[in-house]
Amino acid sequence: MKKVTMLCLFIFIAGLLSTGCGSVDKQVNEKEKVFRYGTMAYGPAMENAGTNPHDTYYGWSTVRYGIGETLFKFNNQMEIEPWLADSYKQIDDYTVQINLRNDIIFSNGKKVTGDAVKACLEDLIAKNDRAPGDLKIKTIEAAGQSVTITSKEKVPALLNYLADPYGAIIDMEAGEKDRIVVGTGPYVAEKVTDTEIDLVKNTNYWGEVPKLDRIVVKSITDGDTLTMALQNGEIDAAQGLPYASLDLFKDENKYKISSANTSRVYQAAFNYKTKALKDLRVRQAISMAIDKDGFTRVLLHGNGVPAVGPFPGNMHFGGDVVKGQPYDIEEAKKLLQEAGYIDTDGDGYVEKDGKPLELRWLTYTSRQELPLLAESAQDSLKKIGVKLIVNATDNYKSFLKREEYDIYAKAFVTAPTGDPEYYFTTHVLDHSAYNHGFYHNDNMEVMAEELRNTFDKDKRTELAIRMQQQLLDDCAFIYAAHLKMSFVMKKNVRGFEAHPSDYYEITAALDI
Amino acid sequence: MKRYKALTFYGMLILLLLVVAAAAPYIVPYDPYAQNLPTALEAPNGIHWLGTDRYGRDIFSRVLVGAQTTIFSALLLLSVISVFGIFIGIISGYYGGWIDTVLMRITDVFLAFPEMIFAVAVAAALGGGILNAAAALALVAWTKYARLARGLVFTVRHMPYIVAARMNGTKNSAIMSRHILPNIAGTMFVTAALDMGTIIMELAGLSFLGLGAMPPMAEWGAMMNNGRSMIQTAPWVVVSPGAAIFLTVAIFNLFGDSVRDYLDPKQ
Amino acid sequence: MHKYIIKRCIQLIPILFWITFLSFSMMHITADDAVDMFYEQSGAVSEAVKAEKRKELGLDKPFFVQYGSWVTGVLTGNMGTSFISNKLVFETFIDKLSATVELMLVSLSMTLLIATPLGVLAAVKQNTALDYLLRFTSFIGNSLPNFFVALLLIYFFALKLEWLPIMGNQSDWHTVVLPAGTLTIAMGAKYMRQIRSVVLEELEKAYVAGARARGIPESTILLHSVMKSVCITVITLAALSCGSLLGGTAIVESIFMWDGVGKMAVDAILTRDYPLIQAYVIWMSVIYVMVNLAADLAYHYLDPRIRLEEGDGR
Repeated sequence: MKKVTMLCLFIFIAGLLSTGCGSVDKQVNEKEKVFRYGTMAYGPAMENAGTNPHDTYYGWSTVRYGIGETLFKFNNQMEIEPWLADSYKQIDDYTVQINLRNDIIFSNGKKVTGDAVKACLEDLIAKNDRAPGDLKIKTIEAAGQSVTITSKEKVPALLNYLADPYGAIIDMEAGEKDRIVVGTGPYVAEKVTDTEIDLVKNTNYWGEVPKLDRIVVKSITDGDTLTMALQNGEIDAAQGLPYASLDLFKDENKYKISSANTSRVYQAAFNYKTKALKDLRVRQAISMAIDKDGFTRVLLHGNGVPAVGPFPGNMHFGGDVVKGQPYDIEEAKKLLQEAGYIDTDGDGYVEKDGKPLELRWLTYTSRQELPLLAESAQDSLKKIGVKLIVNATDNYKSFLKREEYDIYAKAFVTAPTGDPEYYFTTHVLDHSAYNHGFYHNDNMEVMAEELRNTFDKDKRTELAIRMQQQLLDDCAFIYAAHLKMSFVMKKNVRGFEAHPSDYYEITAALDI
Repeated sequence: MKRYKALTFYGMLILLLLVVAAAAPYIVPYDPYAQNLPTALEAPNGIHWLGTDRYGRDIFSRVLVGAQTTIFSALLLLSVISVFGIFIGIISGYYGGWIDTVLMRITDVFLAFPEMIFAVAVAAALGGGILNAAAALALVAWTKYARLARGLVFTVRHMPYIVAARMNGTKNSAIMSRHILPNIAGTMFVTAALDMGTIIMELAGLSFLGLGAMPPMAEWGAMMNNGRSMIQTAPWVVVSPGAAIFLTVAIFNLFGDSVRDYLDPKQ
Repeated sequence: MHKYIIKRCIQLIPILFWITFLSFSMMHITADDAVDMFYEQSGAVSEAVKAEKRKELGLDKPFFVQYGSWVTGVLTGNMGTSFISNKLVFETFIDKLSATVELMLVSLSMTLLIATPLGVLAAVKQNTALDYLLRFTSFIGNSLPNFFVALLLIYFFALKLEWLPIMGNQSDWHTVVLPAGTLTIAMGAKYMRQIRSVVLEELEKAYVAGARARGIPESTILLHSVMKSVCITVITLAALSCGSLLGGTAIVESIFMWDGVGKMAVDAILTRDYPLIQAYVIWMSVIYVMVNLAADLAYHYLDPRIRLEEGDGR
C-alpha cells in the first residue's frame, strides 16, 4: 500500500513539473512593441485605481500613464510651463485668462476648445474634494481657444494648482465608461482594473508620435516580487523598488536607473507642550545629533538627500538657501549641559532635577524610511544622553489624538505644485491641520498672511526663504532628508525619466 | 528505556537553549544595540561571525539576545493557548451534549474572527509591545487546540477501559485527567512544538501595528521581516535569525516527539 | 441527521450576530476611521471636507445606529459600498473569492496528497534514517516563514530555472503553482508530523498488537484500523486549513499578486473600510461553521460511535 502511495506521489510531482516546463511567456507578439511596467504606486489603496481625474486621486494615474494632460506642467525646478495651454495673462488679482494651443485634439478626434476646458473644469470643482478649496473658482468663461477664470479670493498659485493631476483635461461629452475616460495624452486606456491598466497607442495624438503599440501597467505591491519580476524580465521597468534592491541593477550593460529628487521630506516635529522641549537649547541639541548623512547614504542606500529645510535643493526656495543645525555631537552635549541636563548617575543618560531626559518618538510604518529614521535617531540621541522611546505603529492616529508623543515623525510632500504656500498653511500656523507640535510664532502668522496676497514669483520665493529660516531658527522641526525616487529599467528602454513632481511617467518619448 | 534517554537528551538541549537565552546579555561579544553605520551590511567575517545589519550592529550578538525575547514570548503564548485550548477541548469532547454545542459555537466565533481585527483593536486600546501582541494572538489561537483536542477525545472516549472506568463510577474529573489527558497529551505536545515556528513568525507579523518588539529590541521574527528586502543583496541578515528559528523549532519538535513517545501509555 | 444539520445551520445566526457586532465594535475602538485613511494619501484636507465625507458615509452617527443600519441593509440584500473604492462590496468580494477558492483547492489537495503518505511512512519507519530525514525536512517547512519560502521558490523556479512565472492571474494555470507550493510546504510539514504522531499512537495500541499476533498483514492493519484515526485528525486539520485558506493568505497573495480575499481583508482593516470588513467577517463565519459542521459529520461517518449529540457525560 505504501508503494502505491509513493507511486501516486511520483506521478503527481512528475506531472506537475513537466507541465510547468518551458520558458516564461515574455513577449506576446513579436510584431507589436509592448512595454511592461511594474509599479508600487497604483492600486485601490492608493485611491488611484481609475482614470477619471475628477475622482479622488485618479488623476495621478491619468497623467502618469499618458492618458491625460494638464494645462500647465512642471519642469525639473517645479516651475510651471505651458502644456495644453500656451500662454496666460493675469488680468487682475482675481482673474486670469488662459490661452490654449490650437492643435490639440482628444484621442477620439474632437478638438480641445475653450468650451471643452470649461466643461471639464466645472465638472472638476463639482466632483472633486480638494479642487474647490484649492482653486476657489467663482466663474469660468470660455471664448474660442481661451478660458477666463475668476476666483472668489486671491489665489496666487492658481495656475500651479491647475497643473495638479486633477486638472487633466478630459472630454466631458465622452464621459466615463468602465473607469476609462477620453483624454489628450499619447496613450489610451483599453482596460482598467484594480491591479492593471492596459494602454494602446493614441493614433490621434497632437504631439510627437507615440512609439509603442501597447503598454501594460501592473500594480505590484510587494517589493521583492517587483525586484524579481524585473530580474527575470517579466517587466521592462519598475517604480518603487526597495532601496536594498537597487544594488542588484548596477550592471550598466543590462540596466538603467533614472532618479529625481522629490519634495517628499522626512521631518520630525517637536511637541512644544512637552516640558523639556520648551527649551530652545534642548531642541537644538537634538537637531544637532541627527546623522542625516548616515541616514541617506547608508540606511537609504543613497536614495535621499540630507535636508536643511522643508524644500529640496532643486527648487529656488529650497536646499541650502536656508541654514539649519549642523551635525555636531559635542556641541549638542554642551547645549544640553547648558540647559541643565547632566548625567549624575552614570547610566549614560542625562537628568535634570532628578528626572531623566526621556522622549517619545512617534511615527508610522507605511513608509519604510520612517522606522529607519527612528531607530537611527534612537542610537544618535543615546550618544548625547537622551533616551528615545520609539513607537512605530500603524495606529499612530490614536496616539496623536491623545497627545502621547514628544516628537512626531512623518513623511510629507511639501511642494506638490511647486509652490511654497501649501506647506506653511498646513503645518506651521495656528489653524494648520498638521501642526502636531503646537508651534506658534507671531512673525510666522504675519508672513503667512503676506504670502497669501503676494503674486510676484520672486517675492514669494523670498518670503518662503524667510519663513523657512524662522522655522529653522526656532528649531520647530527636524528635516532629515528628501526622498530621491528612481525608475529602474532594462537598458533598451528610452525616454522614461523620473520627475521631481512624481506626476510624469509615460510620455510620447517612451521607447524600447 | 530508550524513550527515557531520548527524552532526557532533548530535554537537556531545551534546557541548554533556555540557559543560553537567559544568559545572552552577558555572553554577547558586542553590544547588540550599538549602531555603527560605516560598517553596515558587512558579510560574515572574522570580526562579525554572522555579519552586520543595516545599522552596523553585530548580528551574532543580536541573534543571541533575540533568543530571550523570541523564545520566552513564544513559549508564554504557546503555553497559554495550549493549556486553555486543551482544557476546553477535553471538556467539550468528553461531556458532549449541550456543553459541547455551546463550547464549540463559542470556538466557532473565535476561529472565524479575523485575528487582525483583534490585533488592531488591542493595539489601539492597549498600545504596542510584545506582550500585547501575544495577548492579541492568544485570543484567537486557542481555538485550534480546542478542536484538535476534542477530535482526539472522540477517538479515545469509547476505549473499553474508559467505558469501564465510567461504569465503575469513577469521577469524571479523574477520568479526564488520568485517562483521557495522557492519551492525547502526546499528540497535543507535538502540535504545540510544531507551532513554535508559526507563533514566532505571527508575533513578528504584527509589528507594523506597533505590536511586537519595539526598536531597538532584537527579536528573531522582527529581524527576518525587517531584512526581507535584502534577501538577495545581504542574505545573512535574514538567514541568521532564520537559522536560529530553525534550530529552535527543530529542538522543540524533537523534544515534543520524545515526550510523546515517553508518555504513550502502553496498555 | 437532517435535523442535526438544520440545527447547526440555525446556530449560525447568533454566531453571525456576535461576530459582526464584535468586529464592528473592535474597529470603532481605534481613534481613526475610513475618512482619515481616505485622505491620508497626499496632503492636507480641511476638517470641513472630512466632516462632509463622514456625513455622506454615515460615520457621524452613533455606533449602534451605524450597526443597526448595516444589519438592516444586509438583511435586505444590500451589503453596501466600500468606503474607499466606492464599489459594491458584494461584487468586489465575489470577484476575489474565486481566486482564493482556486488557491485553496490546489494547496489543500497538494498538501493531502504529499503529507499523508509521508506521515504514515515516517511513523511506520520510526526512528530510522528515513524518519529522521522526513522529520528534518518538516522542520524546514515548519520554521521558515511564508514570505521566505515564497521568495526562495520564486528565486529558484522563476528566476534561475525560469520554469514558472511570478505573477498570478487566473487564466494561466501555471501561475497557481508557486503560490500553492508555498502554502503546501508550510502546511505539508505540519500535517506530516501530526499524522506521524497519530499513526504512532494507533500502532502502539493493544488491538494492533493483537492483530499482528493473529498474523494480519501490516498493510491491512494500516489501511483498515489506523487510517480511521488518521482520517479524523486529517479532517480536523483540513477543516482548520480550509477555513484559514478560504480566509485568504495575505502574504502569499501579496507576493504573487494573487487577487484574493486575504489581501483585500488586510487592506480593508487597515483602511477601516467597515462595509468590506463586515462582509469578510460574515464570509469567515459562514465558512468556519460550515467547515466544522462538515468535519463533525465526517467524524460521525467514520466512527459511528461518535454520536453527533450525546448527553451521557455522567
